[in-house]
Amino acid sequence: MATMDRIYTVGQVNGLVQAALSQSLPARMTVRGEVRDFRCHHSGHCYFLLKDTSGVLPCVMWSSRFRSVKFMPENGMSVLATGYVDVYAQGGKYQFYIDRLDPEGTGALQKAFEQMVAKLKAEGLFGEEHKQSLPSFPQCIAVLTSESGAAWHDIADSIHGRWPAVTLVLCPVPVQGEGAAARMAESIARINARRADLPVDLMIVGRGGGSMDDLWAFNEEVLARAIFASRIPVISAVGHEVDITVADLVADARASTPTQAGVVAVPDEAEVSEDLAHMARRLSVSLRARLDLCHSQFANLETADVLRRPDRMIHDRHQWLDDWGETMRGTVRDRVRAAQDGLVVYQAQIGHLEPYRLLGRHRVAVGTLAGCLESAITARVAQRKLLLEAPAHRLAALNPKSVLGRGFTITRNGRTGTLVRHREAVQLGDLLVTELAGENIIESKVTKQ
Amino acid sequence: MTKTPVKKKQDKPTFEQAVAELKQIVDKIEDGQIPLEESLGQYEKGMALIQHCRTILQQAEKRIEKISANQDSEE
Repeated sequence: MATMDRIYTVGQVNGLVQAALSQSLPARMTVRGEVRDFRCHHSGHCYFLLKDTSGVLPCVMWSSRFRSVKFMPENGMSVLATGYVDVYAQGGKYQFYIDRLDPEGTGALQKAFEQMVAKLKAEGLFGEEHKQSLPSFPQCIAVLTSESGAAWHDIADSIHGRWPAVTLVLCPVPVQGEGAAARMAESIARINARRADLPVDLMIVGRGGGSMDDLWAFNEEVLARAIFASRIPVISAVGHEVDITVADLVADARASTPTQAGVVAVPDEAEVSEDLAHMARRLSVSLRARLDLCHSQFANLETADVLRRPDRMIHDRHQWLDDWGETMRGTVRDRVRAAQDGLVVYQAQIGHLEPYRLLGRHRVAVGTLAGCLESAITARVAQRKLLLEAPAHRLAALNPKSVLGRGFTITRNGRTGTLVRHREAVQLGDLLVTELAGENIIESKVTKQ
Repeated sequence: MTKTPVKKKQDKPTFEQAVAELKQIVDKIEDGQIPLEESLGQYEKGMALIQHCRTILQQAEKRIEKISANQDSEE
């Protein structure tokens, strides 16, 4: 239990572990693994895990080291990390301190290139709609390249060989190494800013061929953004035909080599001279044709009747007037005649209609109808009269006083005033009042029953 | 060596302007849409422009200048 007797501090333990690690582990190791939980702190330091099927390894990459990594590590990416294992006492853990990081499979630069292309493409920096058209006849071309490189002479010779009427402005810049892209970007911005006193109307950014590493500055974001922002059109002319850089993709035009830049940038003097000669011929030919046309038109005019016999025109007009008057008269005559003919026809048609006969026919019909109506009414009246007379006679016969005229009398009891219809209606001594025709009255006394 | 170029001949058209105007003149005369007198005037102007362009090419001196990086960075 001797080991139990000694009490260690945390620091001592971590120190022992550190010593044990440094003794037993190689000073530098390269580890293959998959990136997990990648975090790039704003300080620039990166923290992530390397993982394989057996477990994970915590990793640190300081910003000073990470700056030289061209590609951006992504979760799930398979990488080869080189560094050493040490203890992180504050965290109580060991971790892998990486000083070099490469993607597995494709090279780091290729990966970085692909990532940059994808990023800027997504932002639209390569869009055709952003490409500026190049001037047809540039007057002042700024060439951004290394003063010492062959590219400058290739570019200058190819441009002036084709088109001497241009001023080339060499703007010496470093084209490879740390900071080269930034210097080129600054120069592009500065030339744009100096447009008032430096009338550059085209820019060429380029260099000769080299390894991908040599050309790397032309893949950097800062240069791509400066080319994109330039108001002056930019031609990229980098490396050999096969080399494609980010600068090529973002530039307004690409020359596959510095020598080819001349073909892209300027027209060929011989061709332009030929064009000028052609235009001079067109001018002369078309003017000659125009003059010939004028001559022939003038010749036609000279021989025209109008000019040769001006009185003829007046006579012609007179004749025309006469003809026209005749025609007009004839026309009026024809129309009047036609109207008259029409009238005769209408008159005949009306005559055929014989209105008086029509009227007579109607008059007879009316007379007949009146007779019929009268006899019908007379018959109807007689009929009604007959119907009325029978009840009148019967009514007259019913009047009791009418029988008095025929000798009948009406006898009333003078006492009672009632009609005497039978013997019992009177008593002896009663006064009988007998009414005769003509309001005559006879009074008599009942003397016997 | 770093003197700013161009700014010369402000009255003269640039090569590009001259060629553009020349094309217009040729089209106008070929169309026959302008009066004869104007055609004659335009013809003379076109020929002058052609001569101007030829002069530019003949007198071109393949100028090369250099912007010194130091002078630039001072700005």
